[in-house]
Formats: sequence, C-alpha cells, structure tokens
Amino acid sequence: MTNDPDIPAIDRVLAGDQQAYASLVDKHKSYAFTIAYKVLQIRADAEEAAQDAFIKAFHHLAGFNRQSKFSTWLYRIVFNTAISAKRRNRHQFQDIETTILEYDQAAEGGLEKSDRKKYLLQGMAKLSEADRTALSLFYLEEFSLEEIAEITGTQANTVKVRIHRARLRLADELKTLLNHEALML
Amino acid sequence: MKKIPQAIEEKLLEYLDGTLTPNEATQLEEQLAHQAELKARLESLKAVHGMFRTMKPEHPSKNFTQAVMGKLDQYPLRATLSIRNGMFLLIGVLVAALLSAFLVSSGVFDSASTVIDLNAVKTPVDIIKEPLPSFRFDGKLVVNVIVVLNLVLAWLLLDRAILKPYFKQRMMTGH
Repeated sequence: MTNDPDIPAIDRVLAGDQQAYASLVDKHKSYAFTIAYKVLQIRADAEEAAQDAFIKAFHHLAGFNRQSKFSTWLYRIVFNTAISAKRRNRHQFQDIETTILEYDQAAEGGLEKSDRKKYLLQGMAKLSEADRTALSLFYLEEFSLEEIAEITGTQANTVKVRIHRARLRLADELKTLLNHEALML
Repeated sequence: MKKIPQAIEEKLLEYLDGTLTPNEATQLEEQLAHQAELKARLESLKAVHGMFRTMKPEHPSKNFTQAVMGKLDQYPLRATLSIRNGMFLLIGVLVAALLSAFLVSSGVFDSASTVIDLNAVKTPVDIIKEPLPSFRFDGKLVVNVIVVLNLVLAWLLLDRAILKPYFKQRMMTGH
C-alpha cells in the first residue's frame, strides 16, 4: 500500500534509525493496547502483550510486505500475541467477578458507573476473545470490516456475523439482567 | 413472548448502523410502529449501540513507549536452525529410524543379546565377598528404544523447527 502514512518512518527504521520506531509506537500504542486488553481483560497482561507485539514487529519489520497497512499488520501481531498470552494464562483461574472489577476500574476509570453500563460490560466479558475484539474494533470506527478480518485472521463475512451475534447477545444479557434487577426491587 | 426472526434482527442492527436503503428503513419503521415487541428489541439494541458509540481506545501506561524502546535489543536471537535445515534434520532422523526398524525386523539384532555377569570381573584385590547379580543385555530391545526415541525426536523437530517457525513467518508477513 503506497499511501500508508507510516511508510516513511518504517523506511527510516529499516535504514538503521531505531529511534524512528518510537514514533510508530507512540502513534499505535493506544489501539494496540486496546486490542490486547479486549482479549486479555487484565491491564497488566495487556500492557505486556502489547509491548511484546511491538518488539516482535520491530524485529520482523523487514518481512512486512506492505500489501496491507502497517497498522493492520501490527494489530494482527498484537491480537495473536494476546491470544497466545491468554492461552498461556488460561490455567490461572479468573472468575467473572474479577473480570467485572477490572472493567470497572480501568475502562470506566471510576467516573461513570451506571448499572446499565456495568451490566453491559459484564455481558461483554462473557463473549469470546474474537467476538469482543471484533465488536470493539467495529465501534472504535477506525477499522473497516476487512481490516478487522485481517487483524483477527478471519473472513469479513465472519466478522460481520460475529459483530451482529455479539450485539444481539449483549442486548439479551442486558435485558435479562435488568429484568432480574427489577424483580429484586 | 414471540421470538423475532433472525432476518428482522439483522435488519434492526443494519438500521442502527445506518446501512439500510431508504426504502428498507421506511418499511422497518412501519413495522416498528405496529409491533411493540420489535420496538422493544430495537430499544435494547439501541442501548448497546449507544454505549459502544461512546467507547474510546484504552490508554497504556505513560512509560509504554520507553519500555518498548528499552526492550528492543532484548529480543531473543533468531533460532540458528532454519526451516530448511530443520527439514533436512527431520529427514535424517526419519531415515535413521526407518533403517533401524528395517534392520530389527530383518533379524539383524536377534543374536545381539548377552548376559553380563559381574562375578566374572576380576578385581586385583578380592574385596567383594557376596555374589553379584548378572544382567541380561538385549540388543534388539535397545535398538527398538532408539527407534521410538528417534520418532519422538522427529515429532518434536516437525513441531518446533518446521511448523511453528513456518506459521510464525506467515503471521509476520501477513499472508
């Protein structure tokens, strides 16, 4: 892809200017971290996975074939690194309560804690990593379905189905939880 | 409660995303005006949609870039065994295993067995008073064990030196 704005920085890195990579890290760290966080759901693990992914990308930069955007290529590495980390950590039991707390503290920053939002995040924690990541990337509005497909290593149609299915499931979860809450009052 | 058909639910989502044609949108709005259940479903989907619309990317720690730049040189060095060399090694191991298996099945090692009698070992000073045990050495069994170990090694080579590096390479090049 010739109009990728990251190409000049990539060329500088490949020419030996290691510090030029810092600008790429700065530019993409938020989305990279977001992807890792959606998969891992624990900020410390997500940070480590995102860092690992940037380091892997740096060492394989010469292999980046420029057919897709650098960001898409990078986020795919982030997604795969996070998935691998998730598999490694699977034996570490984490119950749903912990997951919700993670979301509350980090995603909401303790500022907005409406019940509806809390329940929605609770529902989201029940989705698969791929569904959760696809849904988040879709709503971040930076990515087309094709790019999300490339990042998550699936077909665009599958991504569309995943996003639809996840939203329907979340709506169901929300309804169930709100009904339950109404009964408790 | 009547279940809303999947196709209609898909339409509701497309309506929220604004991807329906004006005609389809009008048609759906008419249905929504007459069907309370459909309207309720749209409201619950709208709640999900509205929540996500305000979603922003997460931010890592402030020293994230610094941490990455500091670790760039700590990356493990490339494995010295390339995929090509891994394949040669795998072929070598498989040939050795097959050859050994062929020799075993053709009876070459049938007579390669003996009994090791420790009492037959002469020591300069007669310090051992008790009789020592004797061991049976079965050459065929040893070769069979070597064949099995070779097969395990071949399996590990296939996984570590060929398949894993291959898929990793594919991931990095974006194919």
